[in-house]
Amino acid sequence: MTNRILVALKGEAKGFFRAKSTVFWTIAFPLLLILLFGAIFSNSGGGKVDLYIQDLSDSPLSHSFVENINATDSVNLISINKTADLDQYIKDHSPTAVLIIPANFEQAFIPGAGPNATQLLVRLDPTQQSAGIVYSIVYGFAGQANLMLAGGTNVITTARGDITNTQFNYIDFFIPGVIALTTMTTTAFWMVSVMTRYRNNGIFKKLTTTPITRAEWLASQILWQLVVVFLSVAVISIVGMLAFNAHMTLNAVAIATIILSSAAFSSMGMIIARFIHDEESASAAANAITFPMMFLSGIFFPASQFPSWLASVANILPLTYVGNALRDSMVYDNMTSAIGNMLVVAVFAVILFIAGVFLSKWKTE
Amino acid sequence: MTDTVIEVEGLVKKYGQLTAIDGIDFTVKAGEVFSLLGPNGAGKTTTVEIMECLRTLTSGKVHILGMDVTKEPLKIKNRIGVLPQDFNAFDLLTVKENIEYFGGMFDRQLPADDLIKAMDLTEKRDEYFKNLSGGLKQRTGVAISMVNDPEIIFLDEPTTGLDPRARRDVWAVVRDLKERGKTVILTTHYMEEAEVLSDRLGIIDHGRFIALGTPRQIIDAHGTGSRCIISHCDNSCTTALKGQWPTMESKGGDVVIRLENKNALPEIIYTLDRSGGNYDQIQVTRPTLEDVFLTLTGKKLAAEEPEPTADKKKRSKRKAD
Repeated sequence: MTNRILVALKGEAKGFFRAKSTVFWTIAFPLLLILLFGAIFSNSGGGKVDLYIQDLSDSPLSHSFVENINATDSVNLISINKTADLDQYIKDHSPTAVLIIPANFEQAFIPGAGPNATQLLVRLDPTQQSAGIVYSIVYGFAGQANLMLAGGTNVITTARGDITNTQFNYIDFFIPGVIALTTMTTTAFWMVSVMTRYRNNGIFKKLTTTPITRAEWLASQILWQLVVVFLSVAVISIVGMLAFNAHMTLNAVAIATIILSSAAFSSMGMIIARFIHDEESASAAANAITFPMMFLSGIFFPASQFPSWLASVANILPLTYVGNALRDSMVYDNMTSAIGNMLVVAVFAVILFIAGVFLSKWKTE
Repeated sequence: MTDTVIEVEGLVKKYGQLTAIDGIDFTVKAGEVFSLLGPNGAGKTTTVEIMECLRTLTSGKVHILGMDVTKEPLKIKNRIGVLPQDFNAFDLLTVKENIEYFGGMFDRQLPADDLIKAMDLTEKRDEYFKNLSGGLKQRTGVAISMVNDPEIIFLDEPTTGLDPRARRDVWAVVRDLKERGKTVILTTHYMEEAEVLSDRLGIIDHGRFIALGTPRQIIDAHGTGSRCIISHCDNSCTTALKGQWPTMESKGGDVVIRLENKNALPEIIYTLDRSGGNYDQIQVTRPTLEDVFLTLTGKKLAAEEPEPTADKKKRSKRKAD
């Protein structure tokens, strides 16, 4: 029995590596995901907000104020010539945030200056998420300057720390999601394509004439998919670590979750292939099922922000638990929750595999 | 070599209301080439697929190598070889790898290289299956069906969709299997093929045997006797013949007369001679299974290729040899 599974596994592997475009897309998909997310979420400069500054005061004091903002390293400063017509400049350059330092800025620092001696103006594009950030930054610095001028001291101070103990990069929070998604798409699409193809070209027919059973064959496919999934995980890890300095913490629970998830989604693919016979419609159906799941299972968008009816949909999707288990084990180190989520994935895997074996048909009619 | 290896008794298969096989009985002895012959949809494939343990039966008994198909399917599968209809193997595996793949499914396995040699595939050993011509694909299929050194080999329509040369190729393979002492069960809708290859055959129509025996026995029992064809008869010849044999058929100057006894032929020649007319040549033909089928069912068997359904289109994609 094990021999038959291994023979089928070996045959599938050989065929896979010879179909160059299959290999390419299998590797390219997670690679693309990690590069995209890496580029969007890595904090190496990409996370900064552009702040345009028109310094009408152009004085040593205003220079030092700007210098202080620059030192926070959270904004890219772009200076606008003080003689420029601001409205025209905005039309020409479409800045999303402009700070105007008034000509009378220095007035504020003359001892004995009254309240409201000078006013910083921040013009913002309200549709941009960064608007609030920019305003807070400027507000914070103005407050600091006020405090200093009033001769006060910081009674309350703040310090910034990460949500987890280990130092994580922003991208680390997305890697579990990327892995969860990869386990789903790789296995579900493979299974759908291989089953519809083998059924239509008669390979299943030939296999039924040999002693191999359906369960053995399906097991061989799931094992083979594990190899492909771990290959993808390796690509994600290596690129994540090299390009974005990601931290990979693949522990036993995470690995078990990946295995169970691959089994569950391979089986889901079998079930889809059972009901839709031609290859093109079957992969369209797989798309129709996996695509919404990708958005609804809280992998990239936190499910806590969903309206309640959508959140309850998320609760019945297997991918939700895969994402949670991986995030809990790889990022938060919350093993109790990770194992709980993993067990839910295990239940999905068992149910889907049994349903897949019973439902899948090898014959044409 | 006279052991009975297949016993089918009162086999019935129903799909709901439809009766696909309506009670058939036959036995096959070791080393025989036995053909199931009939038009598409007659029940040939259903019958062999029940013997191959791919389908269940509704009633009756089927024993393969002494084992009941309903009780020991895995044991039977281990000892038979099957070339299914519309056979396909893995496109991106080579001939040798495909043989080894399917070999790995069985409890015992012959060396792939021996089979490659036996099927004359040495040159194509490392060729991807997808690059083979239709005839070579079928030969690879036969090699695969022999990989477990089976006692019985089932070939389900092995020549359908092949060009004439590739078809002859497959015939040679069937003869070779017989020489190796294998029992071969062949299904086909080509009468000629069955006649040339089989030791015995059964003609099946609407799920029943309408004839069973050696090709010779069947032709003798149901045949229409030999016929004499006189081509390009002129009017005086035709009139003279018509006087003697009123049942003769005449088509565009060709006259066909059924030879009812052995004196008939000399009488025809004598009549032609007497008429003083002209004719081209005299030809005597033996009846074929095709004629038998026509007599028994009133329809032609393989006069035209079946309607090209989606399934058939795929076959025609097979490259010519």
